[in-house]
Amino acid sequence: MSFFGFDTTLPRDRAPPGDQRGIFDTPDPFAEVARARGQGYDNDDAIDFEDTYDGLGDQLDETQDAFNDDTFGGGGGNFEAAPVGKDFDFFGQTAQVADAIGEEQIRYSLQKPKGPVVGPPSETVPPTFAEQQPKRTGYEKYSDPGYIPDLQAKSSIWTMQKQPEPVPQLIPQARKMMSLEEVEAQLRHHGVPPSLGQHPVSLPQSMPELSQSLQRPPGLPEGMAQLPPEFLQAQFAKGVPPAQLMHQPPMAPEPFHFPAHAPNAPLHMLQNANLPPQHMVPPPQRQPMPPQAPRQHQQPAQPAVSQGPRGANNNSLPLITNPHQLMNLTEDQRIAYLMEDAKRAKRNHKIFLLSKGNGLMTPQDKNFITRIQLQQLVAAAGNTGNGDLEAILSEDFYYQVYSQIRGAPRQHPHQPLGHFAQTYLLQTGNRLGGHGRRQVQSADNHMQRMQQQVQRAVEAAKAKPKNKQLIIEGSLGKISFSNAKTPKPMLSIKRPESSEGGKTAKKPHTELSLSDRKSILTNIESAYGTLMEMEDMERTMPPPPEEDDAEAIQHHMEWRQGVRSLNQKLWQQLKVMEPIVSNTNTPHPFIAFLSYPKGKKAIPRIFRHIDQEQRVTILTMIVVNLDTLDVVRLAQPVPGETQPSLAVREAIDLFSQAVMPSLLGYVNEAPFSIIIGLLGLVIAQTQVQTVAKTRIGLGILTMLLSRAEIVKEAGQASERDWQQWVEKFNEVFDTLEPTFGDIFPSAINTGDDMYVWQFLAAVGIGASPEQQQRLVIAVKDRVMETVTYSKTLPAEMASQRLGNVNLFMRAIGLDVELLG
Amino acid sequence: MLFFSFFKTLTNQTVTIELKNDIRIRGTLKSVDQYLNIKLDDVDVLDLDKYPHLSSVKNMFIRGSVVRYVMLPRTEVDIGLLEDATRREAANQAGKAR
Repeated sequence: MSFFGFDTTLPRDRAPPGDQRGIFDTPDPFAEVARARGQGYDNDDAIDFEDTYDGLGDQLDETQDAFNDDTFGGGGGNFEAAPVGKDFDFFGQTAQVADAIGEEQIRYSLQKPKGPVVGPPSETVPPTFAEQQPKRTGYEKYSDPGYIPDLQAKSSIWTMQKQPEPVPQLIPQARKMMSLEEVEAQLRHHGVPPSLGQHPVSLPQSMPELSQSLQRPPGLPEGMAQLPPEFLQAQFAKGVPPAQLMHQPPMAPEPFHFPAHAPNAPLHMLQNANLPPQHMVPPPQRQPMPPQAPRQHQQPAQPAVSQGPRGANNNSLPLITNPHQLMNLTEDQRIAYLMEDAKRAKRNHKIFLLSKGNGLMTPQDKNFITRIQLQQLVAAAGNTGNGDLEAILSEDFYYQVYSQIRGAPRQHPHQPLGHFAQTYLLQTGNRLGGHGRRQVQSADNHMQRMQQQVQRAVEAAKAKPKNKQLIIEGSLGKISFSNAKTPKPMLSIKRPESSEGGKTAKKPHTELSLSDRKSILTNIESAYGTLMEMEDMERTMPPPPEEDDAEAIQHHMEWRQGVRSLNQKLWQQLKVMEPIVSNTNTPHPFIAFLSYPKGKKAIPRIFRHIDQEQRVTILTMIVVNLDTLDVVRLAQPVPGETQPSLAVREAIDLFSQAVMPSLLGYVNEAPFSIIIGLLGLVIAQTQVQTVAKTRIGLGILTMLLSRAEIVKEAGQASERDWQQWVEKFNEVFDTLEPTFGDIFPSAINTGDDMYVWQFLAAVGIGASPEQQQRLVIAVKDRVMETVTYSKTLPAEMASQRLGNVNLFMRAIGLDVELLG
Repeated sequence: MLFFSFFKTLTNQTVTIELKNDIRIRGTLKSVDQYLNIKLDDVDVLDLDKYPHLSSVKNMFIRGSVVRYVMLPRTEVDIGLLEDATRREAANQAGKAR
């Protein structure tokens, strides 16, 4: 009947004494006895086995079975014959109460965590005794097969447990002894003898209870057992398969899963079925442990012992095959075990989730996918040819350069694609290598093989002729190859050789009309093409060769040769050296080149790649053709219009932003003789008066005049040069003097006239005192006008206008302030 | 690949996309692929009155073939560079065609 001959009845919930109770629903005094004994209370009368137990069992009256009918309803008179189901039904009813009690327990343990002191709770014990009575065990519900605990996902129950435990440890025990007496007294009072030896039906369930009662280590707080066993019992009683338990994480925190591993080895194996072999702990390895555990832990509080298992972690933890074995562990071990179990449950869950697709793909399938991936890689690598920076640039030029310029994030700035593939594969290898030694090796091998395969495939793709199509002999059509980057062309048009011929045939025509729009644009584009080639050359400039490295020197020489030839190509495409045809309506090709915005924009880039001689040639060409330059020709003031049209203004702006700085950059370094020559050209070749009416024309004149002044200030000008310069200057001055009033933008309130004041300042500095006087007389009206006008303007604009005027005034030793 | 390359630089910029069915959508360009499919975030449908069914759409994936226009932030386009990129693309195409 019972293991040690004790009554193994559960210390079930105490129903109100007066209740009609089933004969088997009696509290088990012996659990308390055993516990008390373990705690050294053997000498206490209240729990002395002989005193408390003796006689009650003997007093059991078999005739009391008559009540069974009342309780269970019309069953057979003999209880032994009563159907099992009714028995369970009875307990189920009890469990309904226990449910509330369980909640109360949880609540209690949640409320208590901060009370490490024994005192306060003990004082509150007597009043709340009845309510707290269930706390003495907490196993009440185990025997109820239908009990489903509230899966309250409060992990705090578990994390906090360590602290609250000391609290219930002592007080309830004191209480319990009282309660035992009390219960017995009640029992005696009601004449209900403890049912001894009449619990065959509930035996299987009460067995664990007994062993718990007996084996529970004295120091082990009973609170520890409050929840886990409930879940254990309930969930296994329900027959919930472990796999289903695994699916409950949203409801229950991980620790609640530990029962899944507990019940027995087969279940444990089942649980771990998805684990790789190395995660599977061979059962024999752990099996010997459990028997030792109880013995160990019957000693009260052995820190050393409990430390050991925890330090050694999972390896030394006993394998828990039964729920109640858990109860036998020390607190530390139990926590460690629970942690371990939680971890395992988590891992199992993850593996379970991951393993949903297990076995869906055969190795052949995987190989197939790998081949496809390899093909993609090869296609990508093969398409970009040598797979270097140039290839990336040619495919993705805008993005790459834009990113460089604007610093946009880029994953692999200039990593060649081949390297990229390797990097990718290596990374994958590293990631796989984290698991186990064997896996690392196999993964390495695998990845090595993959890499080799990729390399071979890439090489093969490179070696493969670049033919985009295959013509099978005798077939009518052709097979076009395609990949992601170069989709299969719908039409495969073979260009006839004559198309080349057509181009060459066109060329004479182009040369014939150098200045028609189309050929000018073609020129610009070809110049741009050469420019980009030169920029590419610049990027691939080899490092300066060492003295004795013949190969590097050779390489460098070749590079320089390439640059030179490109320079020549560019120079020819610019057509600067085309003969100047005077008295024609068609402008010089280079001037036509400059008449397009993109031609203007090319100048700064061109200037970077040409030498000084070429620069001065360009400057000369511009100066000589100032009249025909679009920004001069079209910018002539038209009567009745305050300013040039928008398009012209844009062209002027662009010219002054793109071309002028380049020219100025050169002029600032140009020798004086060239400046004199240029000024002479202006006088000789252009209508100075017309040129001076435009912003660009004035700008170029200003440029030359100010450079001369700087040269003079620096004392670099030889006497003869200076004489020559003064001669030219006087000529210009005399030419311009009548029109000094006309060089301003027509209306005073239109836009910016600063460039005019700059020019006048440049003239004024270089002018003789007598010329300065003439100059002042010439522009006096405009000065006064501006000063008056600026008074009507907001302060900021006014000071700006006055500042402009002052540029000129200061140049001739005056100031607007003097004008009052 | 020019346009792909170009649109890649516009990621995380606000663009307005007009579809071939006249719906105009303003949003942050999240990504673009070689088919010029477009992923937009924080979308804002212009003329929402006409397309109330789009009022709750916060992000979308637009198939490249249904796009009529993409209106770009002007400051984010490097015109000179784009011209050069176009020249290179043209050169590439010419080289391939031959």
